[in-house]
Amino acid sequence: MSKIVAVHSYKGGTGKTIMSVNLAATFAKQGKKVALFDLDFRAPSLFAILRCEKIQVWLNDYLNNNCDIDKILIDLSSRISGKGKLYVGLANPSIDAMRDISTKDRRWEMRALGHLLSLKNKLFDEQKFDYIIFDTSPGLQYSSMNAIVTADFVVVTTTGDCSDVNGTKRMISEFYKMFEKKTGIVINKILDDVARSNNAEYAKKIKETYNVPLLGVVPCFCEILKAEGKYLFPQDKSDHPFTNLLYEMADKIEKSNIN
Amino acid sequence: MYKQEGIRKKHLATLEKIKENLEKLNEKIDVLIELRKVNEKELQKFPDSSLDVITLLNLPDHLRKTAVAICRNGRATAEEIADQTNRARAMESSYLNQLVIMGYLKKQRKGKKTCFYVERGNES
Repeated sequence: MSKIVAVHSYKGGTGKTIMSVNLAATFAKQGKKVALFDLDFRAPSLFAILRCEKIQVWLNDYLNNNCDIDKILIDLSSRISGKGKLYVGLANPSIDAMRDISTKDRRWEMRALGHLLSLKNKLFDEQKFDYIIFDTSPGLQYSSMNAIVTADFVVVTTTGDCSDVNGTKRMISEFYKMFEKKTGIVINKILDDVARSNNAEYAKKIKETYNVPLLGVVPCFCEILKAEGKYLFPQDKSDHPFTNLLYEMADKIEKSNIN
Repeated sequence: MYKQEGIRKKHLATLEKIKENLEKLNEKIDVLIELRKVNEKELQKFPDSSLDVITLLNLPDHLRKTAVAICRNGRATAEEIADQTNRARAMESSYLNQLVIMGYLKKQRKGKKTCFYVERGNES
């Protein structure tokens, strides 16, 4: 069944973008047709990470109703071997575009929500996509809230930072609950040896803290930091432990019942 | 024989017309009931008629569920919304009419069906 997955966090720097890109690549590597969108309009990063060039039309243009969704999708399927398809829709990184987004009013945001919701019909029903992945901005800004309302499943990335833990707990129990969102949590950049060695006990602790299922615990791998987004792990580092974790997470998302 | 058939058809058409008018009347009664439930003071809590995510957050739980469903569909009947929310059609009809009264939705009658939709205005 097709799903929209929003990758979100309370604070910045929790690894949302790396997680979004590599989850999208994992689904594509499994033979699925995937569209990845950069919804972080105030700090776009997919443009740089995926090293896309000569882009004429952006996700901003689709939300401004200046073009259809087909025009903004960039085909990156050649970067993944196999039958899967990977497309990306990028946020415009120019200062003008970021300034433009910050001046939008509530009616524009309402229409933007409508445009995001209509992706289900346009990409799932008409173009037979299997997954849409939203890389969102941290916290509760308009673009990330629109993404969460639209999503079928929310992946929350968090670190061990105490302010992040506290904010993430409140975000899940208050905001996500209001919209009855299926949620899974990824604990990222973990340094604690206990977390690495005693998975069952750690998972129980996480479940008690956040009251949502644990999708995965990602240790602080130097290779991920060094890669700077250069690699699509499922394609370029197929035997890396992070790749195994990605497949486990993708499996849990795939099996989640979204009704 | 032909005359009797003609009279039968005429009676059927009249009954159809009566049924249609009763349905229209029913819709109007629904709205009046909701108007009684939601007094002016309540309506003042929702001064902006944009059905954006902030509005969705401010709505009471029962209305939010209906509003999110109509946002997903763009345009739908009470029956279609009830299919999504797993609640009774009559209940959804009542909530949808409440959202119409609050100014977040518009309704349009097409034949025997009443469709509810989000008025998104001109794009800019």
